[in-house]
Amino acid sequence: MAKVTFITEDGDHVIAEDADGSLMQVARDHDIEGIDGACGGVCSCATCHVKVKAEWLAKVGKATEEEQDLLDLEDDTDERSRLSCQIEITDELDGLIVEVAPL
Amino acid sequence: MSGCPFHDAFSDHRAKGDAVPITFDGEDLTMIVGFQAVRKAARSHGEFSSDAPFRVPIPSEEDVRSVRQLPIEMDPPEHKGYRALIEPHFRRPLAPEYGERIEALLSELIDEAVERDSIEIVRDLALPLQSRALTYLFDVDESEAEEWISWGIHVFRDGEDGAAKGSVLEDYIHQKFDEAEQTPGASDFFSTLAHAEIDGTRLTREQCVGFANLAFAGGRDTVIQTVSSVFYLLTEKPDLMAKIQENPDLIPTTTEEFFRMVTPLTHIGRVNTEDRDVHGVSTPKDRRISLCWASANFDESVFKEPLEFQEDRKPNPHIAFGSGAHTCAGSHHARLIVRTLLRLLSERGISAQLLEKIDNVESHEYFERRTGFEKLVLKLEEGSV
Repeated sequence: MAKVTFITEDGDHVIAEDADGSLMQVARDHDIEGIDGACGGVCSCATCHVKVKAEWLAKVGKATEEEQDLLDLEDDTDERSRLSCQIEITDELDGLIVEVAPL
Repeated sequence: MSGCPFHDAFSDHRAKGDAVPITFDGEDLTMIVGFQAVRKAARSHGEFSSDAPFRVPIPSEEDVRSVRQLPIEMDPPEHKGYRALIEPHFRRPLAPEYGERIEALLSELIDEAVERDSIEIVRDLALPLQSRALTYLFDVDESEAEEWISWGIHVFRDGEDGAAKGSVLEDYIHQKFDEAEQTPGASDFFSTLAHAEIDGTRLTREQCVGFANLAFAGGRDTVIQTVSSVFYLLTEKPDLMAKIQENPDLIPTTTEEFFRMVTPLTHIGRVNTEDRDVHGVSTPKDRRISLCWASANFDESVFKEPLEFQEDRKPNPHIAFGSGAHTCAGSHHARLIVRTLLRLLSERGISAQLLEKIDNVESHEYFERRTGFEKLVLKLEEGSV
């Protein structure tokens, strides 16, 4: 279990105190606006795109090659971009903050 | 046309560039065929507009309906508020109890199918499945599906003579909104719209009908043909169910590969907003653009070995549900149906023997594409995988 904060496109801060599993599923469980996770976490849709706060980048890690292939198709990506379906929550990520990218 | 059940009807067009001029039913169109170009055009509302009643579908639909379909026939930013009105209904498939209902429905239909000596999948399984499942999405009584099933495969043009019959649908929709206006606070799709407001103003009846018209039409033959193709795949890839049995993690990737290969909607229209060069094709203002999903999803620059059905393809950035603001609202529902179907077919070890099939073919001067089946007769057997 870890605490995760989502910052939505409207600037709202939504906190998940009991985060577990994939970050996309955590977002879905908390009805985070802007996270659809439509394909179920298999790198098909990029509807779970988040931007990781810079100070958390090292702990979250970089996108895998197949994840990066999908991110490369998106319009508004940068070095902080990740697909939340590919981020597994661990104790090390307790306190993580991510911004939700527009769908 | 290729003999492959899933085939690339546009490779010759893509070889010429990202866009080609075509004539479709006598109308000059610019068809965008390259994956990146289609995706970008779908998100370029200023250049290629959806604010065009009857002209977003190809062929256009002036002859089969009297209202602008919402929210698809409008552009952002106005589109956003209209889409938000229906979004809660179309997100219902994400709830676990919704998945349980779909599973129960599919189990019942598969039970009936395996008990028969043979079953015509399109009309005796996929059509009732689509109609009954839609009652869950609309949150209306399941008995409503009986009338919807009677409309046939396509709500606008099905029927023995192929004649337009959109007025039947519109009459039904008006009747539902007449009823919904008397039931404020009800949770069903019609009541939601009948009492919905945009910026403090109630939707007009015409707008309500436009929403419902799209909801009925958009997910009908597309879902029916996709489900039918899943069953056909049992005959083409008899080892697939065993693979999924062994590794259920393949269900979501197989589902996405399925939508890529089937791409039930070949293309969709936009209207060019000014004279411009579209990837080398001189395109005058007001000419329609075809965004060809079915070409994009076989673009070999994005999908390695695109004609190969790869159940573990990942990433699989197909755009079978479109791309951008107008991405299919029913995609959660459609994905749930296919995922559940694959899971049940694999768990029950269902195999299929092909007895008869008649392809459904879109045949035009510039392309010919198989999009499913007019008729698909199979013998299903349980426990044989």
